[in-house]
Amino acid sequence: MAREHPIELFMPPNMLKAKVGGGVFAGLDMGAIRRAEAAMEEIKSEFSAWAAADVEKLMAARARFAKTPDAPSRSALLRAAHDMKGQAATFNYPLIARVSGSLSKLIGELPAEKELPLGLVDAHVSAIHVIYRDKVMDESNKVALALTLELEARVAEALKA
Amino acid sequence: MSYQFDRLKILVVDDNAHMRKLVTTILQAFGVIQIYEADSGERAWAVLRESNPDVCVVDWMMDGMSGLEFTNKIRTAPQTPNPFVPVIMLTGHTHIDQVRQARDAGVNEFIAKPVSVKTMMQRLVSVIESPRPYVRTQVYFGPCRRRRGAEEYRGPERREKKAAAEAAE
Repeated sequence: MAREHPIELFMPPNMLKAKVGGGVFAGLDMGAIRRAEAAMEEIKSEFSAWAAADVEKLMAARARFAKTPDAPSRSALLRAAHDMKGQAATFNYPLIARVSGSLSKLIGELPAEKELPLGLVDAHVSAIHVIYRDKVMDESNKVALALTLELEARVAEALKA
Repeated sequence: MSYQFDRLKILVVDDNAHMRKLVTTILQAFGVIQIYEADSGERAWAVLRESNPDVCVVDWMMDGMSGLEFTNKIRTAPQTPNPFVPVIMLTGHTHIDQVRQARDAGVNEFIAKPVSVKTMMQRLVSVIESPRPYVRTQVYFGPCRRRRGAEEYRGPERREKKAAAEAAE
């Protein structure tokens, strides 16, 4: 099939390469990677406080949604769950990442005109709170994993209904 | 010879302070000195115009102007200081439709959260070593979505059909 309309295709000068150099192809700078991994280790001591702040933010968003279940509070709840999903694994809470991912899926994929099942939202928020409170960092923890799988299954059901 | 990352100016846009701290910690360890931060798309636009960064690392989901809207503005707004500035998008979205949506906004590279040091380095190296050609059509301006170049494409004009359908509605 021939193209129906002409397009303009051009390669701008590679100013970045000119600026940072690096020879023909410097590839990954392993020294810089090691420095960055060491820097991440140094800030790990802050992760627990960051995770605590995220859990509080999620609980506050849930409380706001329960009190006023409108589009802005639903959006704020989605944002809080989505942020947690993106960061919890970095903070060494892989199961919180999964549960918040499940909550994000529920809020994000349930059509806006459908009422968000508050009981299922609460089950997610409570699970996240408990996993954080008990410092469950092992993703094979039997109880936490069973809870996670159950929540994911309930979300799948809610989205099918 | 390794890269001289200390010559780069990088703008980090995320409304989550922890994520900004993570990203800036990694970039500083790479040797980047000039890092600008913004906690919203609106603030990022102002910083972009003041500082004209070499690379933008942008979160997708933000209140107000989203990362996609910010990227689109970089590519198309008349006041943009550099419509070609590489945009690396941080995202928790990995569904193919969402990736396509970001490509259509003019995103160069993606980093799926959680952010890792190695992935950050890979994406930086990618925008330095493998820049994409740029495409200008009636309905799109931004990096070519096909690494081998749009001249090889022989399929339907999806963007134009979408625009025509939207115009007809």
